[in-house]
Amino acid sequence: MGNEQRPSLPSPAARRDRPADHGTGAVGTARRWLLDRAGALWTLLTGRPVSLYAASVLRIGYGFLYLVFLLREFPHRDEIWGPGSPWTPALAEQLFRQTGWNSILTLSDSRAYFELCYVLALVTSALFMLGWRTRAMSALFAVVVASFHARSIFMTDGGDNLVLLMALYLVLTACGRRWSLDARRARLRAAREGETPQPVSSVLPEQFHRARTTLVTVMHNCGLFVIAAQVCFLYGSAGLYKVQGPTWGGGTALHYALNLELFQPWPAFSHLVDDYTILIAIAGYMTVLLQVAFPFVLFGRLKYPVLALLLSMHIGIAVLLGLPLFSGAMIIADAVFLPDRFYAFLPQLWRRAARRAGMRRRAAGPGPGSGSVPSQARPGASGSKYRTTRGAPEDTTVATGLASDQYRTHR
Amino acid sequence: MRKTGWAVSSGIESADVKECQRSDSGPVTEPDHEEPVAPGRRLLAVRTLKAGLYTTVAVCVVATVVHVLLVFLHVAPANPLSKRYNPQINAWVYPLFEQNWRLFAPDPDSTNRQILARTAQTDSRGSMHVSPWFDLTAVDNSAVDHNPFPSHTNQNLLRRAWTSYEETHGGDDAAGSERAVMLQKYLSNIAAERVAAHRDGGGTIEFIQLRVFTLPVAAPGTAAGNGPPKPLGTRLLPWWKVTPRGK
Repeated sequence: MGNEQRPSLPSPAARRDRPADHGTGAVGTARRWLLDRAGALWTLLTGRPVSLYAASVLRIGYGFLYLVFLLREFPHRDEIWGPGSPWTPALAEQLFRQTGWNSILTLSDSRAYFELCYVLALVTSALFMLGWRTRAMSALFAVVVASFHARSIFMTDGGDNLVLLMALYLVLTACGRRWSLDARRARLRAAREGETPQPVSSVLPEQFHRARTTLVTVMHNCGLFVIAAQVCFLYGSAGLYKVQGPTWGGGTALHYALNLELFQPWPAFSHLVDDYTILIAIAGYMTVLLQVAFPFVLFGRLKYPVLALLLSMHIGIAVLLGLPLFSGAMIIADAVFLPDRFYAFLPQLWRRAARRAGMRRRAAGPGPGSGSVPSQARPGASGSKYRTTRGAPEDTTVATGLASDQYRTHR
Repeated sequence: MRKTGWAVSSGIESADVKECQRSDSGPVTEPDHEEPVAPGRRLLAVRTLKAGLYTTVAVCVVATVVHVLLVFLHVAPANPLSKRYNPQINAWVYPLFEQNWRLFAPDPDSTNRQILARTAQTDSRGSMHVSPWFDLTAVDNSAVDHNPFPSHTNQNLLRRAWTSYEETHGGDDAAGSERAVMLQKYLSNIAAERVAAHRDGGGTIEFIQLRVFTLPVAAPGTAAGNGPPKPLGTRLLPWWKVTPRGK
């Protein structure tokens, strides 16, 4: 997210006539500059919801991640969140009284109620991921995640913590506008009503409607700003705390991390990596540097290589340390910094790849399945395909229109 | 940058937002046409609406800035500012926004914990019978081994219960606070349930005792494979009474 979407607003005209109106003294210039700045800020805040694709990616990502987590812990659900947990309902409630937490899970000690809550959590995560009635679902998802987190607070790690924070922040955002069932419904409705012009409304409801839209936009932009700031704080503080540690400075930190038995799902692999002392030292230094630098590279093109390096780092953590949930949460959080035109470009890339694959398959003779189908398997891809082929005016102008030319120039 | 007016309506008519309105949850309210409102009152209503809107926007912005600032102070190492405003920061951040990103920092653990448990119960003749030591940590280690997606019950349950116990108790096993008592109960439950689950035969556990080895991770360069590392420390906890839970 961030500054890269701004060029889509009609700025060239404004920029052109700026040099003409200077010359009324330094004070005047300063005042105008200040007003300009304030105006730009106001437009940024209220103009339009920024990074709608990134918000949707976060929704899909965290909904999916939580669903997978719940399913993975299915055999252990009672031990983690249920009445049979060693952290008994009584202990949990005692802690809630001390900390101010709360959870829907401690409302009843019955096993049946717990199973109901578990199913509710599964359904909520799935629907949130799909973007069905997104605003209501996002609130429910936040309640579910907070409840399950609070119930098992002594079993959580950094990944759970991040998922909780993001679930809370996503309630503020309009994360169901892209790649969602809501978006699909809106598109179908627009197609149905498309030809009949909207009736001219009277002033007051119109004003009310506009006010509501502005408010939704402001909340979304504030929420996304908080998410971005949160991720920056995460990396910044993780890096700064590491700087204080002698093993990170000495380049041996990863040796110790690789030898923790609970974070060693593939001991032979861990030991193999551990043998490359130089590699370990370089990777350790890179980790600290990337984390400390993260907040500062976001406003330039340098963020792409940094995000790519972080992605590989997280994949490494997921595999080597056996922390896929944690790494997944981090990777999804990083996705907030990719601009809309990047996401709008993805379906195009996907289609091109699918077409190439289809062609190759056709050249190789009739394959077992039909070659051109895969592009429709993913809801995202099929959705945007629909959009571009129809040429609906709304987001093609912002997203796909930009994607074709600007993406290339920025690369 | 860009020159823009202050009018609320300036950017709203963009096509993007119009599309959003429709996709936003809830049905679109059809505007009333035949509502006869006096022009003066309508003007007043519009003005109130705008004032309300500006106020809410201002509240949103202020809340955002305050939140980001307080979370920053919460996350950052203790400094004069965060010390001074500690009550305000805690009031805002806890419990929902609590966070800690000391991920393997300042240093990763250079030790592995090995937690063992033994139990005691009176046998049929009325004398106390003490079981041999059972390795609780080995259960976790073998569950994590060759598992691409280890469960929280193996990676976090016992590990975090023990670190939390250590935090609240320090080196002394007499619980000095309410939280310490709670964590002792938690640890005892974990141990008793794990022992019971891995023991064939029955017999209710009456007492349980834990022993914790702190095993060092060998410094890099030292030859691995010369036997298990010597524990840096051993901690023998007192016998705890196990209260059976109604199932």
